[in-house]
Amino acid sequence: MNVILQSTYYTLYQATNERCFYIDFGQKKIRMPFCQLLSLRHKVMSIDIEDHFDSDLNTHGFEVLTLCNKEHLFILNTLEVLDLKNLVEYGFMAIGLSSKTEALNL
Amino acid sequence: MKDIARQSMSIKVESMDMLNAQIKMEAHASALYLAMASWCEQNGFFTSAKFFYKQTEEEREHMMKIFNFLIDTGGNPISPEVTNINHDYSSIVDVFESTLEHEIKVTKSIHNIVKKARELGDITAERFLDWFVMEQVEEENTIRDILDMIEVTGTEGVGLQMIDNQVAEWID
Ligand SMILES: [Fe+2]
Repeated sequence: MNVILQSTYYTLYQATNERCFYIDFGQKKIRMPFCQLLSLRHKVMSIDIEDHFDSDLNTHGFEVLTLCNKEHLFILNTLEVLDLKNLVEYGFMAIGLSSKTEALNL
Repeated sequence: MKDIARQSMSIKVESMDMLNAQIKMEAHASALYLAMASWCEQNGFFTSAKFFYKQTEEEREHMMKIFNFLIDTGGNPISPEVTNINHDYSSIVDVFESTLEHEIKVTKSIHNIVKKARELGDITAERFLDWFVMEQVEEENTIRDILDMIEVTGTEGVGLQMIDNQVAEWID
């Protein structure tokens, strides 16, 4: 298993022999086929972080994130959400599917 | 290390995001034209209603074209949330003028994606949109023709009824 990217709280791996990815969430390491990685990306990017700074919109500053067709459930605080957003953005750059990949190689 | 990601997906994620936004826009157009069909039915413009029933189907087809492209390229198409559909129009002229305005918005959005895809060097996404660029020329032209016909016919007296009857020409 190769490390693709490590953020403050999370690590993204590629398991080439299994043709899939893993994310280590600290408490557990989750196996993710590519489509689940795309699904995670969509969910994480859809989280409006601004809401975390408005006590009316997000009273407690937590996000509930379900992954892999509801197989896993995480409750993330603001810092964890920000870190996961980073992991997703730079992770897709690192695996070469983001247009910003080229910028990364410079 | 084998490139599992590239083997799974053949366009850039940024292109996918823009195309998902376009899916939403096409779904919105489809819902908008259905609202216009409702207005036309309730206000006695039955031929125009038929025209908008056809339009609503067409927009849904546009949406599915993009949806299927995202499937074919290994992406993650998102079923769109559609809200804020206007049902209020002051006249049949207002209906067609709003239609043209909306089609122009769609054209601009597609052009924007083409430009960005080009910037990203995503040739696949750029070429996919060729069909949409030409389709928008047709869509805009149809509505412009109808608006010209309205102008020539005039809305006085039996004008409104004549306008509605003539819309039949643009339903095939
Ligand atoms: Fe369309």
